[in-house]
Amino acid sequence: MSHYGTGSDAVQSDGSDASSSSYGSQKTVSGHGAPVVSFENVSKHYGSLHAVEGLSLDLRAGETVALLGPNGAGKSTSLDMLLALRKPTSGQIKMFGSDPYHAVKSGRVGAMLQSGGLMPEVTVGELVTLVTTLQPRPEPVEVTLKRAGIAQIADQRVDRLSGGQTQRVRFALAICGKVELLVLDEPTTAMDVETRRLFWDSMKEEVAEGRTLLFATHYLEEADQAADRILVINRGRLLADGTPADIKARAGARRLSFRLDPVPEQFLQGLPALVNLEVRHDLVQIQTSDSDATLYAVLDAGYRPYEIEVTGLGLEQAFLAITAEDDLASGDVRAEARAEETN
Amino acid sequence: MRGIFELTRVEIMRLRRNRRYLIFTVGFPVVLYLLLGKQVTSLAYGVSFHAYYMVAMAMFGGFSGALTGNAQRISQERKDGWIRQLRLTPLPANGYVISKIFVSMATTVPSIVIVLLLGRFYGGVNLPVWQFLAIAVTIWFGATIFAALAVAIGYRYLPDQVQPIAIAVYFVFAILGGLLFPIGGGLRKVGELTPTYDAVKIATDVIANTSVSAGLAIGLVVWLLIFIGLATWSVRATAESV
Repeated sequence: MSHYGTGSDAVQSDGSDASSSSYGSQKTVSGHGAPVVSFENVSKHYGSLHAVEGLSLDLRAGETVALLGPNGAGKSTSLDMLLALRKPTSGQIKMFGSDPYHAVKSGRVGAMLQSGGLMPEVTVGELVTLVTTLQPRPEPVEVTLKRAGIAQIADQRVDRLSGGQTQRVRFALAICGKVELLVLDEPTTAMDVETRRLFWDSMKEEVAEGRTLLFATHYLEEADQAADRILVINRGRLLADGTPADIKARAGARRLSFRLDPVPEQFLQGLPALVNLEVRHDLVQIQTSDSDATLYAVLDAGYRPYEIEVTGLGLEQAFLAITAEDDLASGDVRAEARAEETN
Repeated sequence: MRGIFELTRVEIMRLRRNRRYLIFTVGFPVVLYLLLGKQVTSLAYGVSFHAYYMVAMAMFGGFSGALTGNAQRISQERKDGWIRQLRLTPLPANGYVISKIFVSMATTVPSIVIVLLLGRFYGGVNLPVWQFLAIAVTIWFGATIFAALAVAIGYRYLPDQVQPIAIAVYFVFAILGGLLFPIGGGLRKVGELTPTYDAVKIATDVIANTSVSAGLAIGLVVWLLIFIGLATWSVRATAESV
């Protein structure tokens, strides 16, 4: 969090509004300021591999937060620790003010992990009913089936479903209680485009009821559209924390390109708001966090570039820029870490 | 507690749909009893062979369901991620294991009922009802011991490793304990250390109307504690990878 100042404060307004909805007032959703989830300097080491290193973050009630990071960045390990499946080597995790195990057992958290499996030999309806009866505050089974879009396959055997259907059943198991926090790891993997759209539509309903949502994804478009806050994780550390707009700005949100002959490289290096500079023959490509300022500086210095183009960078490029910068700064040990985590 | 019962109920429903376990727990003991139950006329463990073999076969079937069937399922469910999924629900951490033990007791019912009926009507083993009940209770208790062992094995090994391990371990206990044929001589001394021997001896003592020695009951409890210890060890050792 210390890396980028914009971070969490910028998005609080969204979250606070949602938490005061009817659902939130029904029980003690942690009030303003009191985080739903907090990681305090959390590390997880496997021998010499530091899967998570000094991770600190807070989630507040009603926020929709995306966790972004390349494979092996420590996303799954972090979610596992949050859900009491793994214990941190050091540091402290709190959920609703208590330790993760008790928070999970209190039925206030619904979770869907990639590694979670389903009980075979039963029907979808039977399985959802079973997990519903485990909840202290169950939702009606029909409501869950409908929300997850699996009402029409309720009579099918769980072990005979397609990948996308299985994924939706897993989602149903995460929302079959009246939970306050939803944790989803790559929720739309194995879904086709249409199902993915339906999934996010139903997610909007969940969030509108005041739920806090934390999801990991590698579809950056999803993070951009659905999240009001993004956490970028690389090599087990938090690299950036802010709104999608913050993250893009952080990475140098725009690309400015033009032609100029000859190219005054020395001068260009010193341009304001410059993040990255590439020169090929007479073509100059600049990544900048403030394209106006950069361009004005070029013009003010008396240069007259031509074929000027300013394009916005997507979240994907921003994300790649942030993680690449980090890898460069610390020598690329990421590949090694990736290999370990996928084992 | 309600969650554990609900899980147990669904598990039993699954078993009723997938009856392959009946081959080992009922089919195999019934066939052996039909082949051997009445052919041997000597005494075994102080009672008629008909009565001894009825007890031994009911136990052989019941315990095999509790051990091999359970170990296989637990290992498969761990590999599939179902145990992990359950850990994300409000079901208490030990709920899965407890419900597996209840299910093991349920899986012994077909072997108890069918083999004891076979003993009564085919083998001519005429016992008062309370003795049949005492035998059933002994089998149930024994099943919990093997269910605990199933947890220890199922959590630690992958599905394709579990089958040979569970069967090998099971046959050692079954043979040494006298579940397949009466054990005598030097092997008897070793066999007397097994829970299977304790269980057979308790049942045959009940049938013979002799008093059951406390040592046998203690033996069963000690084995239960050992296997619970092993099971706890396995569950803890794999906690981060389940």
